[in-house]
Amino acid sequence: MKTKLVAYVAVTTYSLLIVIPLLLAVDRLVWVAGFDVTSWISSLDANYISKGVFQFTVMQAVFSSLATLAIGIPIAWQLGRYKWPFQNIIRSLLTMPFVMPSIVAAMGFLHLMGDNALDIRNDSTTWLWVLIIAHAWFNLSLVIRFCEPVLSTLDPSLEEQLRLLPEGRTKFGRFRHLWFPLLIPSIAAAACMTFVFSFTSFALVKWITLGEKTLESMMADIGSSAGIPGYMISKNEVILGSSLIQFTVLLFSLWLMTWLQNRRQSLLPTANEKIVKKNNNAGWLVILPAICFAVIPLATLIVSSFRVTETTVDGSRTYWSTEGWSYAFSATNSLPSGWDALYNSIGYALICLTIALPLGWILAQTISELEGDSPRLARALDVFTMLPFAVSSAMIGLGVMLGMIKINPEFFYSLWLTPVIAHIMITTPFVVRIILPAMRSLDAKYDECGQTLGMSRTKRFFLIKLPMLRGSILIAAIFTIAMSLGEFGASWVVTRNSDWTTLPVMIDSIRAFPYNEPLVPPAANAVSSVLMLIALFLFISSEKFRPKRDGGMF
Amino acid sequence: MLRCIGLSKTFEKNLFDEFDLDLDAGQIVAITGPSGCGKTTLLRCICGLETLDEGHILLDGVDITRMLPEERGIGLIFQRPVLYPHLNVERNLKLGDKQADIPTALAEVGLLGFEKRAVDTLSGGEGQRVALARALLANPSVLLLDEPFSSLDDDLSEKLAKDVRDLLKKRGCPAILVTHNKSIAKLFADVVLSIE
Amino acid sequence: MEKRVTTISLFMTIMMLSGCLSETIESTIDDGGVIAPEEYSWEDDGELVIVTYDVTGLTDELISEFENISGYEVELMKLDDAGSVLSHLLQYKGNQVADLAIGLDNTYLQTAINNDVLWQHFAEVSNISDKALSAYDGPLAVPFDQGYMCLNYDTEMVDGENLSIPTSLWDLTQEEWRGKVAIPSPETSSPGRAFMTATVDYFANDEDNQTDWTDWWTAMESNDAIITSGWTEAYVTHYTGGYGEYIEGYVGDAHMVVSYCHSPGVESWYNDNWTKSAALDLPRAAFHQIEYASAVEGGNLGAASEFIEYLLSEDVNVKMPTENFMYSVLVGTDLPEEKGYKFHSTVPTQAAEISASEIAENMEAWLEDWNEAMVAA
Repeated sequence: MKTKLVAYVAVTTYSLLIVIPLLLAVDRLVWVAGFDVTSWISSLDANYISKGVFQFTVMQAVFSSLATLAIGIPIAWQLGRYKWPFQNIIRSLLTMPFVMPSIVAAMGFLHLMGDNALDIRNDSTTWLWVLIIAHAWFNLSLVIRFCEPVLSTLDPSLEEQLRLLPEGRTKFGRFRHLWFPLLIPSIAAAACMTFVFSFTSFALVKWITLGEKTLESMMADIGSSAGIPGYMISKNEVILGSSLIQFTVLLFSLWLMTWLQNRRQSLLPTANEKIVKKNNNAGWLVILPAICFAVIPLATLIVSSFRVTETTVDGSRTYWSTEGWSYAFSATNSLPSGWDALYNSIGYALICLTIALPLGWILAQTISELEGDSPRLARALDVFTMLPFAVSSAMIGLGVMLGMIKINPEFFYSLWLTPVIAHIMITTPFVVRIILPAMRSLDAKYDECGQTLGMSRTKRFFLIKLPMLRGSILIAAIFTIAMSLGEFGASWVVTRNSDWTTLPVMIDSIRAFPYNEPLVPPAANAVSSVLMLIALFLFISSEKFRPKRDGGMF
Repeated sequence: MLRCIGLSKTFEKNLFDEFDLDLDAGQIVAITGPSGCGKTTLLRCICGLETLDEGHILLDGVDITRMLPEERGIGLIFQRPVLYPHLNVERNLKLGDKQADIPTALAEVGLLGFEKRAVDTLSGGEGQRVALARALLANPSVLLLDEPFSSLDDDLSEKLAKDVRDLLKKRGCPAILVTHNKSIAKLFADVVLSIE
Repeated sequence: MEKRVTTISLFMTIMMLSGCLSETIESTIDDGGVIAPEEYSWEDDGELVIVTYDVTGLTDELISEFENISGYEVELMKLDDAGSVLSHLLQYKGNQVADLAIGLDNTYLQTAINNDVLWQHFAEVSNISDKALSAYDGPLAVPFDQGYMCLNYDTEMVDGENLSIPTSLWDLTQEEWRGKVAIPSPETSSPGRAFMTATVDYFANDEDNQTDWTDWWTAMESNDAIITSGWTEAYVTHYTGGYGEYIEGYVGDAHMVVSYCHSPGVESWYNDNWTKSAALDLPRAAFHQIEYASAVEGGNLGAASEFIEYLLSEDVNVKMPTENFMYSVLVGTDLPEEKGYKFHSTVPTQAAEISASEIAENMEAWLEDWNEAMVAA
């Protein structure tokens, strides 16, 4: 009985926190725009601001996925098939970009392209490539995480046997008959996820893209003028239409991803990594550039935070200085100090953790318990907890904002905690996704044995379940903190009270400062460096707890 | 002391129907039958890990049919030993009894000095001995054993079966063993029942 | 019942006000209906929440000085642009969290007034020039800065050799200007709105009767004009004549941009009397923009009024050119001469003549026409 109650409470809390704000947003938009799905969809082409946006969004997401695979597969192959000194460190370096807040990536690439680094500049012929490569940088980890375990633990006798058969005499033959079919579900799953992340990418698009918008950035742009009766009605239609399209596309991709992942889990004969792996010195030609690729955008960020470019009559002069740091970490009325932003970011992340983690745990537990008795209900709940993945963060931000207005604007505006709601909405699904597979793979016998030893439910929870799932819980916790710290899209729409400014929002505001303040880029890069170092610290901690074989996508 | 009256369970097929059993104090019973005949499910029903379709279980005259497994005071040894990988041998044993005298308990099962060993370094037989020691520390009214010797070599399983029997008799702990191995059953139990 | 009482009192106030106004300069923005301050009820919580965008003039010194003088605690709510300020007021209608709105301009003010989101202030302000009051001279908003929007160009590129200096807006639709003009979108930016409004007047008064302003925009879009969501992106990221080229992410593909006619003056003021940027002075292609401070309905009216008074005080307002890079609204003020600020700033010979009431009446329709023109390209 108690368990059921807890589950009900969790599902209800989740619905209230996530569904209600979204419903409020949709309700208000529909109230302004009218309920006419065809006109929502056709508004996309009828409005200059949204015309061609869907096409561009899909195009860049497809190219980003292809680029990610093109860069990621050779790396995953080298990493998985051969022996490397400091294998774990190499893998960590290559997968680290995935936990980096996207605004940090945006700042890193922005600097890398600038005239103080590669000097490609961000012009109309190069920006699309920069965006695609930045997306590939960000999602590289997915290909490695999905493909490497298959490559590194597959029983070598499968390949050995094939070598002795006519079809498998050539490398190509073995690739065609063995590796390709085995890897394809993993590759496709990685491509799917990359597509989703590139489709919804916001900070990178906002700062790198020129003249084009994605659905996400376009909605964020017009979101602030939405939901006002009789005012800019077509914009409300555009938001509804885009959300609907985005929701459909993402839901389909996520469904495809889950389906592929289930196929991937079909058991392959495995062997110990030590037997599988051989040496390959030529592989350094892939591994070394890959490491540089992963590290350089971040390293330049730290360096550039100490570089100030001053403009004088005679042109510009760049020198080493810590002024950017002191500029970022002293408060002004137009900008809170970096310390305040840091304090807010960490505060929000910790509060978000205390809610999202237990909530996600209980949801995961409910799903895994339901899987035995009513698999359909379990499946439904499973999809339900994934919904926020398919909703744009602009929509989440809008939901929180409109929810505030609807319920009690004065109260929510003065409440420091308000932005946490958006963070919880965004992180809870991740917690479920990380903990659920771990719960599924935990043998029920451990719990049963505890029962036969006379241990109560509470005792079993604290002495058996919690410590046995410790690794996943820690990863989920660290991920929640990292996601919350890096959250930008929703905050950008919600943040109205300057007391709410978080590190990502602050980076964005500094960077958007008008007029020629030479400390703007170093200050933005200084705050980005802080955020990056925190993310890095979190990532290194999480690596310690990652399960050995298949840590899933995170 | 343990009475099973008319136990029935159907899961995809009829596993057992109207099964009756009387277990006296200190008595060891073995139930034999081919694999897949429902022996394991029977044990799981008796200790409460699964629910019965019909029937009653009385322990010392008290109806425990609806009780939670952890409240029944019935121990179970799984086919493969269930040891918690995050705990060492000593801490695994303490799950049975927090105040237990670990060296004595280990000595009883012939594993003196194994306190600090990590459980993944134990052999199959050693693992079963630890699981047994832990089950006994919980001081069960009845101990159920689900083919605990089947994964071991013949010699080893006979030796272990004998040791376990001696230990149970010494403590006067009643037990039910299910196994497909008739010779082990004879060696281990006072009474052998056979179901098909 | 209650509603009727309000209507009656509204009506009376309108009568009273129109009486007052007729004695001063005729206002072209409609007051809607102003409730007399006595009927307002507000709470003084010792706090002043100002909703604004990046109005650079609201410096730390200025805010803390006000805090010292008045004892109020000031909180700034910074939105993206003037459009967002208006949207914010409309979204929170009846439940405002801000006390004072700073930065609504004469292309947005009327919508705010029509939606009853502003309150009449009781600040005592004087010495405001007629020019600054030309678009609105009522109690719901006080002008605090002004300037002209117009096209700026990079004199190093637009030198008659690489590119010729346009003598008509139509020149910008020619091949030589393909992809070289950056304009903030009127849908998401107030400079964009202001410039679009100027084009309405410009093409209504040109010699050509076959085409109108929407045709020009269609032609511009076909000529790959760079439409940005805000002024910053147009000026900093794309424009070659401004300071953007020293900033990371700079592209430098536009040699012509919509900005203020005095932007070159600001460049010069920053760069010790040097700039390569100049304003393009075409008749009716410039728009006189006036920015306002307004008390927000239901807010702390006392604090709002006090801040308005402070903002319009001689000491503060004369600093507008150097602190806020806009003209002051006070009588007898001008841009400073030093570092070529005034020298490089252009006062348009003839700005667009389009009245505030016309703007108010047509803005929504113009935006729709603009949208259609752009989609048609």
